[in-house]
Amino acid sequence: MTAQDYRAPESIDRIRRRALVAGVVGLLICIIGIIKAPDRFFPSYLLAFIFVLGLSLGSLGLLMLQHLTGGKWGIMIRRPLESATRALAVVAVLFVPILFGMKYLYGAWLNAPPSGEGALSEFQRSYLTPNGFRVRAILYFAVWGILVFLFNRWSREQDANPEDTAVRRRFKMLAGPGIILYVFVMTFAAIDWVMSLSPHWASTIYGFLFVAGQLISSMSLMIAIVVLLARSGPLSGVLQPRHIHDLGKLLLAFVMLWAYFQFSQLLIIWAGNQPEEITFYYSRLHSQWGVVAVIVLIFHFFVPFFLLLSRDLKRNPKLLPAVAVWLIFMRLVDLFWYTRPEFTPRALPTIWDLAAALGLGGLWFFFFAGQLKQLPVLPVGDPKLAEAIANDEH
Amino acid sequence: MDHRSHTYGVVAEFETAEQLIQAAERTRLAGYHAFEAYAPFPVEGLAEAMALKRNAVPLITLIGGLLGGLGGFFFQYWVSVIAYPLNIGGRPYNSWPAFIPVTFELTVLGASLSAVFGMLALNGLPRPHHPLFNVDRFAKHATSDRFFLCIESSDPKFSLSDSLRFLKSLNAVNVSEVEDD
Repeated sequence: MTAQDYRAPESIDRIRRRALVAGVVGLLICIIGIIKAPDRFFPSYLLAFIFVLGLSLGSLGLLMLQHLTGGKWGIMIRRPLESATRALAVVAVLFVPILFGMKYLYGAWLNAPPSGEGALSEFQRSYLTPNGFRVRAILYFAVWGILVFLFNRWSREQDANPEDTAVRRRFKMLAGPGIILYVFVMTFAAIDWVMSLSPHWASTIYGFLFVAGQLISSMSLMIAIVVLLARSGPLSGVLQPRHIHDLGKLLLAFVMLWAYFQFSQLLIIWAGNQPEEITFYYSRLHSQWGVVAVIVLIFHFFVPFFLLLSRDLKRNPKLLPAVAVWLIFMRLVDLFWYTRPEFTPRALPTIWDLAAALGLGGLWFFFFAGQLKQLPVLPVGDPKLAEAIANDEH
Repeated sequence: MDHRSHTYGVVAEFETAEQLIQAAERTRLAGYHAFEAYAPFPVEGLAEAMALKRNAVPLITLIGGLLGGLGGFFFQYWVSVIAYPLNIGGRPYNSWPAFIPVTFELTVLGASLSAVFGMLALNGLPRPHHPLFNVDRFAKHATSDRFFLCIESSDPKFSLSDSLRFLKSLNAVNVSEVEDD
């Protein structure tokens, strides 16, 4: 079995070109947004940025989970996961505009009055500074970047030399601490980039909420990608119902995890009933945003949850990707509900939301698909590969 | 059908699990539907060889879970809103976030109880006696070292002499009639 056997198919090029067109058109409209309405544009940009960040970081999390647990479920998606983590480079570049748009996003702590209502605490005054924000962002990307670099480099080494047990050991050694680092750093990043939109409100489960969402979006993308690669590409005849069944089970678990974290935050704030805590839900559960909250509850949790309970659906190569793509869309809606109420009581997406999501999403996917083409789409050096693709149906 | 009152079926004894799987497969292909395999431990591939249909346990579990969850929520709703409304910190009587943990627990309780009891009911358990225990060798060996296959007389294709002959042709070590109680 040679590496040439598992090259990404031509069909991925077509989608890649379309993603590029969408990305360029989206980014062009974004430029108009920056010039004409920066105060309304940057919230849209932040939303799209957090979304594509989740695609890369969720993949990093899943990749480390696979190396740590060593389950066969991850063999099919290991290469797409690695490609998605390498797209973190483009995510880091896409962070730069946020540095320039800080005053449109983080006015609540940038322009906080020195005393009286809206004033920051002493610690916040020293922590939430423009320079601190920039330095910490570099740190976050550095930590994730090192993890991405090592896991990808070792994976190439394993391709070249499958018998090398030292690589396998290194994967396992780094995966555990790597997951802790990823979640730890993501907690701080979520505080800086999203929670600080409302600096007087705090939640300790905030980072976990984003991690759970990232796992959903990444696993959904992986399900869509492997089915695509099986339809016309190197995975046809390799991908079996039991493979997507495993991925579907994990997706169900992540949907439940996300709902569990979301509800934990709500329940504690509801039970505490403190004026400074309830502001977050007060703006999100009333009037227009209350409608969005119900949409998120039903279509991000109940509908996918009940659909994914079905064994037949999880083994169906048409229906499971449909649910997965739907969940990717709902991730955008959830992030919309999480970030936008800080800016406006109007719960309707704008042209800038569409442009930023298309632009960043398209550019990210273009880069991701390009990375996917570089290596065989199966980890040809993985010792579990033969067992994972063996044609036995149990 | 007059034999039904005194014959439960015919049973064959095999020495290995592989033979049992083969026998089950051939029995199915011969057109029998009402037959059952007995082994001292779970045998991989046996369910496929017998072409067992999916059972109703998942559906019973789903219904049990839904009833548990809905019941759990509405008991709390009834107490807090209708029967004994209390103002707790100015929250609405229908303080639904506070009801969710109990609702969740009762969903799990309803689902797991209905899964266990649904499984027992569909299996016809508990059942202190079974006609197969009338066969001495079955009673002695079925749970230790032998594998059995029984074609039941309720099968439309069943006939005492033909079915006995058929089981013999499967290379069984022992074939016997099972008397009903």
